[in-house]
Amino acid sequence: MRIIGPDYLVFGVDDLEGAKTYLQDFGLKPVQLDATGWLYEALDGTGVVIRHRDDPRLPAPLPTKNMLRQQVFGVEDAATLDVIEAEMSKDRRVNRLADGAIEFQDVLGFELRFQITTRRELNMPAEKINAPGAPAQRGPNELGVWDGMPALPRSLSHVVLFVPDIDKMVEFYTRRLGFVITDILTGAGPFLRPAANDDHHTHFFIRTPAYMQGCEHLAFHMGGPTELMVAGDRFTRKGYQSFWGPGRHKFGSNWFWYFNSPLGVHFEYDADMDKHDDAWVAREAPNGPEASQMFLLQWREKWAPGGGPEGGPKG
Amino acid sequence: MALLPLCHRDEIPDGAARGFLPLPEALRRVIVVRRGQRLDAYMDSCPHYTGGTPMAWRRDAYLNGDGTHLACHAHCALFDIDTGDCVSGPCLGRKLTRVTLTEDQVGYLSVPAHVAGCAARKE
Repeated sequence: MRIIGPDYLVFGVDDLEGAKTYLQDFGLKPVQLDATGWLYEALDGTGVVIRHRDDPRLPAPLPTKNMLRQQVFGVEDAATLDVIEAEMSKDRRVNRLADGAIEFQDVLGFELRFQITTRRELNMPAEKINAPGAPAQRGPNELGVWDGMPALPRSLSHVVLFVPDIDKMVEFYTRRLGFVITDILTGAGPFLRPAANDDHHTHFFIRTPAYMQGCEHLAFHMGGPTELMVAGDRFTRKGYQSFWGPGRHKFGSNWFWYFNSPLGVHFEYDADMDKHDDAWVAREAPNGPEASQMFLLQWREKWAPGGGPEGGPKG
Repeated sequence: MALLPLCHRDEIPDGAARGFLPLPEALRRVIVVRRGQRLDAYMDSCPHYTGGTPMAWRRDAYLNGDGTHLACHAHCALFDIDTGDCVSGPCLGRKLTRVTLTEDQVGYLSVPAHVAGCAARKE
């Protein structure tokens, strides 16, 4: 089953204009889909679709106030869609759409859509670093940072869900859809990746009461830690509210920086995530501050030391 | 009781909320919501997690899209503006920490000095 990962997530928002401003300032490019819907896309075409919550084009809402309406997964080929349709049709209704995509609800009522992926192949370098003992990645006169350097989200990386029944969700995504568990934070839940994606995770499930069911956050891959810091610094300076970070996670090794949003979920910049194959054996650690991060920093206004003490002797 | 000045009541538009740091080094802002002549103030500290977390999605963006509730834009929690009670979301059954507002004769608002060192939810 060649599932790649989320192509985009669909939200029904109560503040459409606020959400549009937010997504654009986050670094996503608006593409108008129709009279009432917008896709905000990363460089590879993955992203977030928003509509007003009363828009009849939206899938049904969750029973909670969470604004997530649908996860749209990209797959490699039509054969995968056929396999998923056959598997899901055993015990639930599956809609086959005119464009070949299929839609159904997962075991806890999250709306899903699977389609042949719309993501574009990216061809651009990762952040390059120089270190003694290793060949230089940046040659002579090639600069690491400059004012106005690009720092745009490259690709929708992962989605984190609040789920009331972890066991059912894990069983459904692993046995029925072929996801693999890469690591587990005990007390929270597992990290998962689909078969056709070697990223440490495209999904993470967190155990919660039923009244919290929904999306906790979504994340976009950046070109490296410097791009992540530059994007987060620019976003903070525009008045947006940091929630957690910047820092670097342990499981997945990805750099992170989370922000509040008018979509009622966190938006995360992430960078430099681990890759895995089927030889990997999942680790397990108790959820908490120690397991969650290698280190955690906090933004502050730019500052620089000068020479002598302020107000001290001159010259 | 020592007081820290926030602003004049006219600096908060009717039907809107604003957040103020009572001191530059304060841990959390104080949110003031104005509806007509009525003012309500709470710590900018969602009770979902111990220690509380900031609630706006952008500076002063504390209300939900309809302007009917205070909202935490971390996880969609909605709070009654009159009481601070969480009516929906992760912290259902908990409430925002109310801050006593003092208004002088010409409309300048201030808050007790202790709120500057307060992250609101301890436990």
